[in-house]
Amino acid sequence: MDLVNIFIRSAFVDNMIFAFFFGMCSYLAVSKTVKTAFGLGMAVIFVLVVTIPINYLIENYVLKEGALSWLGSEFSDVNLSYLTFIMFIAVIASTVQLVEMIVEKISPALYGALGIFLPLIAVNCAILGGALFMQEKQFATIGQATVYGLGSGVGWFIAVVLIAAIRERIRYANIPGPLRGVGMAFLITGLMGLAFLGFMGFEI
Amino acid sequence: MEFLRKIFDNAHEKLNSNEKTKKFFPLIDAFDTLMFTPNHVTNKGSHIRDAIDLKRTMMLVIIALIPCLLFGIYNTGYQHFRVLDQLGDVSFWEIILKGALVVLPLVVVSYGAGLLVEFIFAIRNGHTVQEGFLVSGMLIPLCMPADVPLWMVAVATMFAVVIGKEVFGGTGMNILNVALTARAFLFFAHPTKMSGNEVWVTGFSDLKGEKYASLINSSNPQGIVDGSSGATALGDLASFMQDSPVLENTQAFQAKYSLMDSFLGFIPGSVGETSALMCLIGAGILLWTGIASWRVISSFFIGGFIMASILNFVGGNGYFELPAIHQLMLGGFMFGMVFMATDPVTAAHTNTGKFIYGFLGGFLGILIRMVNPAYPEGIMLAILIANVFAPLIDHMVIQSNINRRLKRLKTA
Repeated sequence: MDLVNIFIRSAFVDNMIFAFFFGMCSYLAVSKTVKTAFGLGMAVIFVLVVTIPINYLIENYVLKEGALSWLGSEFSDVNLSYLTFIMFIAVIASTVQLVEMIVEKISPALYGALGIFLPLIAVNCAILGGALFMQEKQFATIGQATVYGLGSGVGWFIAVVLIAAIRERIRYANIPGPLRGVGMAFLITGLMGLAFLGFMGFEI
Repeated sequence: MEFLRKIFDNAHEKLNSNEKTKKFFPLIDAFDTLMFTPNHVTNKGSHIRDAIDLKRTMMLVIIALIPCLLFGIYNTGYQHFRVLDQLGDVSFWEIILKGALVVLPLVVVSYGAGLLVEFIFAIRNGHTVQEGFLVSGMLIPLCMPADVPLWMVAVATMFAVVIGKEVFGGTGMNILNVALTARAFLFFAHPTKMSGNEVWVTGFSDLKGEKYASLINSSNPQGIVDGSSGATALGDLASFMQDSPVLENTQAFQAKYSLMDSFLGFIPGSVGETSALMCLIGAGILLWTGIASWRVISSFFIGGFIMASILNFVGGNGYFELPAIHQLMLGGFMFGMVFMATDPVTAAHTNTGKFIYGFLGGFLGILIRMVNPAYPEGIMLAILIANVFAPLIDHMVIQSNINRRLKRLKTA
């Protein structure tokens, strides 16, 4: 039940896009067609599910104050938390490299469609944001952290696929000139956020 | 008729004679086409001959809304005198008058604000006025609480028409239902005026000050006469989720808001949404004329019924134990199902998609209402969420059709 609640919270209530506006750059850039949005969304889910447990372990066994006490009592007051950003980014960057190689091997077409945004997942704020929220929330077990990563990824995935479908539908709408493209995407995101407020305070 | 025709012809002529006034053409055109069938004729060949254009469609929806409006006027007055405990002293017409004085200004303000925006956009963009607002302008007052300040209705209407519709290119392009956008905007921008237990019965907060001041004591901290709180039925129901619910148990709830009252609509709530019976009459008109989709309405109902039954089955607290059918008669469920979810623009466009879309809306509506005590009026948000999902549902349906046909092609 606890895990279900963590999942629902991270996917729908604290949605990366609609609640925090994280990962907006790739969200706006690849949401022109459902197909590419689907591909990037899956990549983000994968990266989040892999990096958050790793970062959880690093956080709890290396970085946190007293986390190194398993090495011996003389390390029990070492506090490496100033290394948080560098360590998290390193983990994320290497995972993204892995994803890039896999995607290139499995689906060259998707690789071409995603273009520069695939390596840019490394600096996608949703990924680092997920890791930092994980640190802040102080999950009790690695299972909870993984579910949190999965939920955040699914939330981002849903958001990007939904807006891609909407943008496909309004492709032939007579939108006022200055708003065409990204401007409209921002407005739609706001309206979708209004609808998604319905999930606020949701708990099972 | 001749007389009216002459006025319009005269106005057209005058406007067209001057370069400067030419751009105000849509203004006259809108009223002209409202009164007469548009006289645009196709140049080549004849296509389908049918008098039903967008304006007639909209008019039919408004006709379907009239039972809800009339009942809303009566119920607004009825609730007011019920709280005052004067139901025995006032006549039918006094009740109607009281309700009309509250409801009609809402309608006027909503139409005024919305049509003002529509006219500005029509003149700016140089097209004729689009008729889409005719229905939204009627839906907005019907889904507002009786005591909402008029300026808020105006602001919300303008927000919904500009951000919800005009930026997408006008009628037929929007992704969210305009009336619900207005309501959701107010709900989150001014929650104190859109929820809680003081806004649903007109004049309730004033009454509380004057009439109940003498009744306040330790056993009756709110100073309320038995059985007359200002909350909606769903608001009372949601209080089961709190530590100290308003009513002791579900039986007390069912005694206070009987199934019959909920069906007929003699319960507090938004102006036009309370009566399931009037919504069903509206649904009958819409289905008979073929304007609303029976797929959306039926699957919406089934979705809500299944969710409510699941919660019945799970049980747990008084909140979940209310019989499913009673649950569906409360709040905005019927109104949303008949008039909001069926909006042909924001619903899914494919036939299979309509089933999925309706089911999703009904299912989520009851889920949000029940699982989230902060939003007892969850139908509004559920339909908005379903609106957001509709393009994706359509995409999936079309994609699966394409894939199926490709497969057939390969095997053949």
